[in-house]
Amino acid sequence: MTLTIVKNATCTFCGCVCDDIELHADSERIVKTKGACSLGEAWFRNHTAEHLYPDALIDGHPATVDDAVERAAEIMHRANMPLVYGLSNITCEAQREAVTLAEMAGAIIDSHTSL
Amino acid sequence: MIYWGGNPAECHPRHFTKYTIMQKGKFVPNGRKGRTMVLVDIRETPSAKAADLFLQIRPGKDFEVLTILRALIKNQRVDSRIAEETGLTLEQLQNLVDRMKNARFGIIFFGMGLSMTRGKHMNSAGVLMLAAEMNAYTKFVAMPMRGHGNVTGSDMVLRWSTGYPFGVNLCRGYPRFNPGEFSTVDLLVRGDIDAALILGADPGATMPQPGIDHLARIPTIVLDPKVTHTSRLARVHITTAATGISAPGTVYRMDEIPLPLRPALKSPYPTDEEVIRRIRELVAKKPAWNETTNGELATV
Repeated sequence: MTLTIVKNATCTFCGCVCDDIELHADSERIVKTKGACSLGEAWFRNHTAEHLYPDALIDGHPATVDDAVERAAEIMHRANMPLVYGLSNITCEAQREAVTLAEMAGAIIDSHTSL
Repeated sequence: MIYWGGNPAECHPRHFTKYTIMQKGKFVPNGRKGRTMVLVDIRETPSAKAADLFLQIRPGKDFEVLTILRALIKNQRVDSRIAEETGLTLEQLQNLVDRMKNARFGIIFFGMGLSMTRGKHMNSAGVLMLAAEMNAYTKFVAMPMRGHGNVTGSDMVLRWSTGYPFGVNLCRGYPRFNPGEFSTVDLLVRGDIDAALILGADPGATMPQPGIDHLARIPTIVLDPKVTHTSRLARVHITTAATGISAPGTVYRMDEIPLPLRPALKSPYPTDEEVIRRIRELVAKKPAWNETTNGELATV
């Protein structure tokens, strides 16, 4: 099994965003972290590249991403006052998309900052 | 350096060593020895060991302490009995003010112990006012201790795109900002919203019960690397790649420095960015909102 070594990896567990972590990964999981704190190490070990969850769920039943995206768009379009909430664990690129969607849908957009 | 209502020793373990008290700087060549660290909290946490001065205040008295400090920096008279209600003596507070004024460059890091207790947004405003007013005497700044990896990024993106950092209402076609009215807890508990798109958060596990009940009542969409509590009460869940582990992109550190992610794994799932873009593109194809075609959520 060959290991991928990523130097200066960025940890997004907490707001410190330490960017000096070394990660050793096989094709499925991160097997070793260097430089991360106990919280960071748990974060890197907690997520794998395995297919553990269904691609999507509609009303609790497994569904395709295409159908789920379609349904999501329908809900966002129909709503009079939708809320877009979270944003704190996704990338800035995804946040930009979320702002555009919120503007289009006439939504309220909010993050963990408001807590 | 003042840490207020936060416990970095346990919640941000590398904050002291990588970013703050331990670091040597151009104007602080001796690192830790050249700095004074003050911790203000309602209980003695493990972070107190790192502090030169620990000030234990009574729970819910943050706003009072901040207001007294603001009075003292301007040499206004404060009744010692009023000061003592906060759990600190007037001498302790005056001593803190003297230390702050003698600093060449001061900072207040404030945590959720300040911003989520009695006073909430007003406490945060109080800290910011205190730091601003200290600039009449010396250089002083304030910075919130951010919990989530890219919560600073969401403040930045919302600021440059809407002009406000969070709780932005785009319902009328232009941005409006009013914490308490357009903030999530309040919207959910009052039941104001009629749909929700939850991105990398789990309000179904953390919100007050009336808010969770409302999320279950309305059509909720969740994008998350895992099936969460919120996913279980949602109409739609889409599994996405984990930010920074299998999804690339940019995130902001709590001092507003953007950093690139270097994911180590390849996810079998699409990224949040990709899924949100696809939803947005489908919404864009639909006719503009109007009262006759929209609003009948029961049929969705």
